[in-house]
Amino acid sequence: MENSILQLFPLSHRTFWQRTADAQDRIQEIRLRAGREAVLYMDGREFFLTDQGEFTDSCLGARRMTERELEEILEHICHYSPYAFEEELRRGFVTVAGGHRVGVAGQAVLAENGKLRTLKNISFFNIRVSHQKKGAADQVLPRMYREGRLKSALIISPPGCGKTTILRDLVRQISDGNAFGRGMTVGVVDERSELAGSFLGRPQNDVGMRTDVLDGCPKELGMLLLLRSMSPRVIAIDELGSDGELQALGQASACGCRILATVHGEGRADVERRFGKGADFWERMFDLFLILGKENGKCVVKQLEESGRTSRRHPEEPGNKMPGSA
Amino acid sequence: MLRTLGGCMIFTGCLGLGIWYRFQLEGRIKALRVLQNLLELMAGEVRYGRATLPECCGHAARYLKPPFEGAFLKIGGRMAENAGISFGEVFREEMGEVFRTLPLKEEDREAFFRFLSQAGFADGQMQLRAIEQSMEFLHGTQERLEKENEEKCRMAVGLGAMGGLLLILVFL
Repeated sequence: MENSILQLFPLSHRTFWQRTADAQDRIQEIRLRAGREAVLYMDGREFFLTDQGEFTDSCLGARRMTERELEEILEHICHYSPYAFEEELRRGFVTVAGGHRVGVAGQAVLAENGKLRTLKNISFFNIRVSHQKKGAADQVLPRMYREGRLKSALIISPPGCGKTTILRDLVRQISDGNAFGRGMTVGVVDERSELAGSFLGRPQNDVGMRTDVLDGCPKELGMLLLLRSMSPRVIAIDELGSDGELQALGQASACGCRILATVHGEGRADVERRFGKGADFWERMFDLFLILGKENGKCVVKQLEESGRTSRRHPEEPGNKMPGSA
Repeated sequence: MLRTLGGCMIFTGCLGLGIWYRFQLEGRIKALRVLQNLLELMAGEVRYGRATLPECCGHAARYLKPPFEGAFLKIGGRMAENAGISFGEVFREEMGEVFRTLPLKEEDREAFFRFLSQAGFADGQMQLRAIEQSMEFLHGTQERLEKENEEKCRMAVGLGAMGGLLLILVFL
């Protein structure tokens, strides 16, 4: 994984990106736009790059990306075979070696039925640098078990508060086994290749020794497929988004699977409103609700709610900050 | 005795030269067939496996014999290393090494590499078409050579033998 973002770029670009690759551990995002300055988000701050690839606060004199450079990067990311990444480009992102996710935007080409056929003239890249933070779930892990039995948990947070990071670490620790419970078979439906960061079907992140990953498959379909084929004891999915996914989760739950899931939202009420399902529905499915948020720019577990009970924890309480959080 | 021996050697040498030239002509046709087979394997990987071009090489290597097997494995391996070099460059370099050992002409090499200049299609069908076009060019050359070569081969061996006889007559 070391310097793996350098592999995103063709050889002729690598000298320019060397400095950025050296600081890979601190970089969250790299945004490239044709004809505009390259923008980096590092340690929660915005940086530009000079012609020599050095970081600068000022956009004056910052290096602008050319259309040709972006074309070359896209070709390289797609292994000089964009046709093989047709589906990924349609979905708007490509996952690369190292688990980094390259979001793309450009001109949409629509099919006759009005659905998105592909993207052309891709001129915008958002490279989300993958960081696996082992131990990110250490603080919540004790609450995940009751007498050695794993609880089903829903992680609720606004974007960028670390819900995927926590889920990934939970999956790893539950799969490998930990001080609170023995290792369990985990099935991960990784629709957007964010959890396992799979590249050519192989997880680039450590998701544990008993974890099976179904990469790039729609969650609704994938959960049922995993249930049939891999008999997981735990099913993990990132970013619940549709009623169909909830139904599939219900089926998995009815089969006795524990569920680990994340969802965008400010809190339980927000999630209940968005999905139009009452508290009873969620409490039948999940035993624990983790609500994440940001306090003073740091990602924290704001609230831990058990079904029927609420445990509010102060963000500044020692040990409540997520390890490695910004 | 020595004269007869010398005459025989001249005749054999000239005949051998004619036969060698015939094998060169036939060898080119055989090599063209192999190149088409390579492209067909790659097209199959694109068609059925939606494989990337570097993956195609890695997979196709399993069905090939040396020296193509080694070259395709090297291409797949070098691309997997991700040193930042484009597929076109790696492919040309590795296949260029193999081509040195084959009786191919520059036009054959260019026809084979033609699909590389058309790589990068977002549509799989277009990429397949590019590979097929390379195959069509090679097939066209192969057919033309097959027609021409029947005569040429006969002539090469005949000329070799006759040249040998002529030289014997001159030296005697």
